[in-house]
Amino acid sequence: MSITFALSAALSGLSATSRQAEVVSSNVANASTPGYARREVGLRSAEIAGAGQGVAVTGVTRDVDRQLLGERRLAQSGDGDRGIRAGFLQRVEQAIGTPDSDGSLAARLARFDQALVAAAGRPESQTRLQDVLTTAQSLADGLATVSREVQTARATADRRIADEVGKLNSTLVRLDELNGELGAFSGAGRDASALLDEQQRLIDTISTILPIREVRRDHNQIALFARGGATLLEGSAAVFGFSSTSTVTPEMTQALGGLSGITINGKAYDTAGTASPILGGTLGALFALRDDMAVTAQGRLDATARDLVERFSASGLDPTLAPGAPGLFTDAGTAFLPANEIGLAARLRVNPAADPAQGGALYRLRDGLGATSAGPPGNGGLLSALQGALGAGRPLSSGGFTPGVRSFAVLSGDLMSDISARRLSAEADQSLAAARLTALTDSEAEMGIDTNQEMQALLIIEKNYAANARVVQTVQDMIDILIRLGT
Amino acid sequence: MTRISLGDASLTNILARQGAELRNQVQRASTEVATGRQTDLAGSLRGDVSPILAIDASLARLAAFKTTTADAAFHSALQQGALSGLSQLAAGLTTTLLGSRDFSTAAQVNVVAADARGRLESVVGLLNTQASGRAVFSGMATDTVPLGSAKALLNALETVAFGATTSAQVAAAVAGWFADPGGYGAFYQGDASLAPIPISPGESADLSTTALDPAIRDTLQGFAMAALLDRGVLAGNAEERGRLAQRAGQELLTSEDSRIALAARIGTVEAKVEAARTRNAAENSALGILRSDLGSVDPYEAATRLETARAQLEALYLITARVSRLSLVEYLR
Repeated sequence: MSITFALSAALSGLSATSRQAEVVSSNVANASTPGYARREVGLRSAEIAGAGQGVAVTGVTRDVDRQLLGERRLAQSGDGDRGIRAGFLQRVEQAIGTPDSDGSLAARLARFDQALVAAAGRPESQTRLQDVLTTAQSLADGLATVSREVQTARATADRRIADEVGKLNSTLVRLDELNGELGAFSGAGRDASALLDEQQRLIDTISTILPIREVRRDHNQIALFARGGATLLEGSAAVFGFSSTSTVTPEMTQALGGLSGITINGKAYDTAGTASPILGGTLGALFALRDDMAVTAQGRLDATARDLVERFSASGLDPTLAPGAPGLFTDAGTAFLPANEIGLAARLRVNPAADPAQGGALYRLRDGLGATSAGPPGNGGLLSALQGALGAGRPLSSGGFTPGVRSFAVLSGDLMSDISARRLSAEADQSLAAARLTALTDSEAEMGIDTNQEMQALLIIEKNYAANARVVQTVQDMIDILIRLGT
Repeated sequence: MTRISLGDASLTNILARQGAELRNQVQRASTEVATGRQTDLAGSLRGDVSPILAIDASLARLAAFKTTTADAAFHSALQQGALSGLSQLAAGLTTTLLGSRDFSTAAQVNVVAADARGRLESVVGLLNTQASGRAVFSGMATDTVPLGSAKALLNALETVAFGATTSAQVAAAVAGWFADPGGYGAFYQGDASLAPIPISPGESADLSTTALDPAIRDTLQGFAMAALLDRGVLAGNAEERGRLAQRAGQELLTSEDSRIALAARIGTVEAKVEAARTRNAAENSALGILRSDLGSVDPYEAATRLETARAQLEALYLITARVSRLSLVEYLR
């Protein structure tokens, strides 16, 4: 009987090496597939009733370092979070303009100041008065452009939150389905590696959106929890709720209404602060952008705009103005009321009384905005006073900046410096997070498919296969000899 | 477990990342070499851009002051020129007028009177000087000339002096008209004085002189008194006509002091404007140097950085090419 044993052992060797070749080929084919984990064929010696029976395949194992995977996912959420914050600040800084860019807020302000000085020197010159008007409009436009950029960023964030929530929900549903399929596969003892790859890939998708903790259950099934505490997948998938808003205005906030918060299974959760379960990934960062960073930036722009408006509507500056009448800069054409400070930067306009294109007249810049007819053309007193008002130290009416007495140039300088400094620190944070993610991704990649190693394995498999085949041939020869003995 | 394998992706990732990083460095350095400016100005100032903004604002304002000082200098030079013209016209007439009592014939007074009328027209013309549409003695009403014609002036004086029989009466009537806000004050078509013009940070030039200035008014009064003789006042009384001519001469003589004082005052403004202009130019270049110190890169340093990054990038390309061929597959043929 031992010849038959030998034959069956050799045959089991052949089938085991075939299986190994199959796995190697799969590894090589997926050398650059993201989320693919290297497979290995597990072998043990088969025995029946204490006697050797060749080799048996115990199964295919996926070679995954769970610790590293968890770390990498955490780094991934951190990177997503920092990336969004730094991206927003870069965008705002770009809109305000750096000192070396021509259309920057500071350059617009400097040109307005310059135009006022030149006009005071020759008040009868229409060109110079026109220049005052144009540069004043450009300054107002500058603030409005930045404000628009900030609100666009908020609206984009709002839309992206909806996208991320949609992605989160569909991924969780898919993971729930996978749990079911894995239960069936693993229960039947079939190779579930491909499903596990898919599972890992889906969890990776979620972990950019928010940091998660993965808990493994029986039969390769998983439960998912947000690091902040919420249950995402345990028996069934959680459903996130969010409704996006088509138009976002500066007045709309989550607290004051108009913008949506987040719900999990119908229950509302905080989107900021320690109690929030969604912080740490892109979702949390998008909420922080929409509800905090952009609101702060808008607040500073509004404070700057308000200071500008109030400088030029101060009583005593322009004697032709009735008390409460709008000065050179207006809130969309009307007088500014302190209650309407939010969003002022976007509504800032030059008084139409001075703009010939809107039925006004240039001489009002020289003779006073309330002047009914042109005065003596050489009257430069008001223009000098306007220039003085721009440069005079003045305490701020609104918060957002450290209190103190500033000229308008210093105030706009503070606005720019503040954004630049915050952009730099956000970039430093981002590069730290990116470096961490890179290091972990590298470690993960080191564990990935090494074609050289697979080739070496293939050489051994080839040799083993040849040896097993030789055994089969030899056994056949031996059996042949036995058969010839009988004839 | 000790691993002896190293995933293919690991090497590819590292090479790709380092390649991107080096290309980024090359791009930054080459931009900086080409433009001479920092690519991240805020970054190089550690986020505090206030100093550079202050410099830029000062530079912009200095550019405006360059225009206003030129305006102020032009304005005061025109005033100074008109004033010295006035003095020359007066000097040519004063001595003749002062000696007019000794004239042997009445016709000589007529000749002087005709000369005086001609000079009065020149004086009015000088005071009505306009440069690039701007009347310099009209105060804020720069679009109108300060005075009407010499003829209109004499008509007005003739009316107030009507019926006067002595030179003293005529002189009193003329002086009274010039001192009267409803007389010369109404004849003046200009407006209040110009506001001071800003010429440098915190400094302004006072260009307040108008045709109402006493020095100019008194000079006009002297010329007008003599010119009235040409209109035939005190006709037939050669003695009184001679006296009036002499009185006019005295008037011109006494106004000379105030003309000189006025010229000196305008001269001071001219000097102030000139000093401001020089100071602004010096400040402009000083700030320009400071600005480029803060905002530009050292071209040598940037070029060195570019060269280093380029060499590293080339080495990396070489390594990438070599390493990619290091595969067992290549040898298994």
